[in-house]
Amino acid sequence: MIQLSYLDYLAVEGKSWLHRLSPKLKIIGMVFVLLGIVTLRNLPGLLLLYAILLALFLISRVPLRIFPLTLYPLIFATLFIFISGFQIHFILLIFLKVLCGSTGVILLLATTPYPSIFRILGKVLPSLFVTALFLTYRSIFILLEVFEETQHALYLRGGFQWRHPWRSLINISNAFGHLIIKGIDASEKMYEAMLLRGFKNKIHYRGE
Amino acid sequence: MSHIHLPDGVLPVWLWVSGFIVAILVEAILFRFIKKEELTRRLPLIGMMAAVMVLGASVEIVPIAYHVNLTVISGILLGPSLIFLATFVVNVILALFGHGGITVIGLNTLTLSIEGILGYFLFRLFWRVLRRLTLAIFLATFFALFISTLSMIGVVSLGTSHYKELIHQEGKGVFEFKLLKEKGDHQEGDTEKREVNLKRFIAIVLPLGFIGWILEGVITSLVARYIHRLRPDLLRLEKETP
Repeated sequence: MIQLSYLDYLAVEGKSWLHRLSPKLKIIGMVFVLLGIVTLRNLPGLLLLYAILLALFLISRVPLRIFPLTLYPLIFATLFIFISGFQIHFILLIFLKVLCGSTGVILLLATTPYPSIFRILGKVLPSLFVTALFLTYRSIFILLEVFEETQHALYLRGGFQWRHPWRSLINISNAFGHLIIKGIDASEKMYEAMLLRGFKNKIHYRGE
Repeated sequence: MSHIHLPDGVLPVWLWVSGFIVAILVEAILFRFIKKEELTRRLPLIGMMAAVMVLGASVEIVPIAYHVNLTVISGILLGPSLIFLATFVVNVILALFGHGGITVIGLNTLTLSIEGILGYFLFRLFWRVLRRLTLAIFLATFFALFISTLSMIGVVSLGTSHYKELIHQEGKGVFEFKLLKEKGDHQEGDTEKREVNLKRFIAIVLPLGFIGWILEGVITSLVARYIHRLRPDLLRLEKETP
């Protein structure tokens, strides 16, 4: 999840042509990528789509450091290939679909700030849902800070040790408990602050 | 555990479209049980609990290499009406992070929210019967995860005919033609093996799932014990005490 803050940083600070491209166009592009993934059933077509996404990845100057993120979903796809009886064609098809989807999504996130994505989504989805999405996004960063502090404290005090798995489990559970309590306290303060700023079940974005 | 880690384009269109439709309908029905003002007031809490679930899914527990969902504890804290919206949001964020396809968000929401909603009701039931917090939470988590994993397997099995189509796509297109040539004569014998094997999938998912249910159950119990020690009011147990 540390990468989420890095992705956010890249999306805001990036200067490539893909960063400057309208978020609406990028979301439309992502919809086309999804359409391609859903409809394409042959390897050359999917390979071509993946090659286009890789080319976009390289020319948009997104650091290669985040490329492994696009490979992460392959771990779960491996489980699914057991259904096919290890047919090489099916496995390649699934893997390419996974890679196209994850590369497209990571490319979108690394070049488009979240609020811009939410602003576009707000035009087609209920405001309540988009507000919940935005608040979750905001909360992730608040909790990430709390969690990192707790994690450091636990490491410094020897809270995670291979030799003591049960104690480690108790400590990590307590850390999650701490996170939940801190999160609930923070949500109450957040609501009060939002009310003071005139919140009425919808968040307005810059440019609206 | 019941999160369907499927990419886009694997499940048939009718299945994932139905997933979205059912998820939206369930959401609309659940919202009938909660006042709009109450929902608006609790939006930051929903966001915060959704963030806890996203963080839980992204933090690997080092000695045992497992990540938790925290859906059951979130369900207990938020209640059945709000946990559905929270899981919907969690699935959108996770899909935007490449963790599960975008088209399967609806289906993922349905299976994951089963954990939260069922976890809430099972916890109330076990608490009434057993009066022991950690045991009630453990059992509620274990059974909620078991049922949601079964529902995930059910969803995956609904797409069987579509997987067959995908498997039998071989032979169409340039790249596949080359593969076909290499295989040569034993092509006919292969067709027998080219059937969808759900049993193998279930045989892998269920034992792995079992370990997950136990771990999640233990962690959720410990989390609940910690919360009960510091903020017992959050679990709203006093209403249940005779």
